[in-house]
Amino acid sequence: MSAAFETRTDGATLTSTGEARDFFALLKPRVMSLVVITAMAGMATAPGSVHPVIALASLLAIAVGAGASGCLNMWYDADIDQLMSRTAKRPIPSGRVLPSEALAFGLTLSIGSVLVLGLVANLLAAAMLAFTIFFYAVVYSMWLKRWTPQNIVIGGAAGAFPPMIGEAVVTGDLGVHSLVLFAIIFLWTPPHFWALALVKAADYGRAGIPMMPNVAGPAATRRQIVLYTLLMAPVAVLPALMGFAGLAYLVVSVASGLAMIVLAVRVWLTTEGEAATKACWSLFGFSILYLFGLFAVLLVENGLGLMWALPKVIG
Amino acid sequence: MSGPPKSPEAPVAFSPEDMARRRRRSIALALVLGGLVVFFFVVTLVKTGPAILNRPL
Repeated sequence: MSAAFETRTDGATLTSTGEARDFFALLKPRVMSLVVITAMAGMATAPGSVHPVIALASLLAIAVGAGASGCLNMWYDADIDQLMSRTAKRPIPSGRVLPSEALAFGLTLSIGSVLVLGLVANLLAAAMLAFTIFFYAVVYSMWLKRWTPQNIVIGGAAGAFPPMIGEAVVTGDLGVHSLVLFAIIFLWTPPHFWALALVKAADYGRAGIPMMPNVAGPAATRRQIVLYTLLMAPVAVLPALMGFAGLAYLVVSVASGLAMIVLAVRVWLTTEGEAATKACWSLFGFSILYLFGLFAVLLVENGLGLMWALPKVIG
Repeated sequence: MSGPPKSPEAPVAFSPEDMARRRRRSIALALVLGGLVVFFFVVTLVKTGPAILNRPL
């Protein structure tokens, strides 16, 4: 069977009509952009330096590796993606890209990105990228997602690894800075996804995905959103207290952390009608801005040397 | 019966739009491959450093 043709069980021949933009969509470009900025922050806050070309090449490999894991996720989840309004227009369920093409594309990019990162940076960074791809494509997509309501809590680790890979590129080692950045993303993931899951509970129910609102109910999910946000906001201030972020980061992390708490509490208290949906969308939308904002300030302070240093309180 | 036996792929006939899409895809692939060549060239120069110019003539 060539990549361009597949024969269904009823004998009909499927043809590939996917364009470059369909294959690019398989890489989940919005997730990739978050991976790039968090990996850059990991590099910028790492104790050491690396040649700019090596840094750029490593970032490209990390971004492609993250995209490859997204592609493998879409390949595996095509059956449930077609059942949900949010994902039904993705390239595979809509028929623009064949499953076999997506699988080949994802595997090729996975192997290629890990090899390139190993050659350009070092073995530790490459091994971590390989583990991240495995964790997202196999542990999360194939195992956790359809099995437990803790799917995105544990699976969130995959999205939290990029700063650690970034630090490994620079130092060839893992340090406490990237561990703190890992913790911020890890604790950010549940409130972010559960706000969406509350709105899309019917979709997830139709697809048989055991998301927290479908299993534990909306009230328990709302309580856990508040809990994780209360844990996340102080952890997000740690970079300033530990001396690898400055005054601007302190102000932004405290102010936007308070805003996250207010939005989470609003999701908790507003449980009925259009207002409840709006509260969830507000938290979901702001959470993206929040994470981008934190890591952008970290980057500006550390990468461009525009840090108004603060006394180290911890560490 | 005339002609060679048909393979599963034989009945597929691409429309002009399909052909145009496949052509655009091929061009994109060529550009990516070209980009990779430049990428490896530049990274090799940086990894090897100025020593790459020190070779016996």
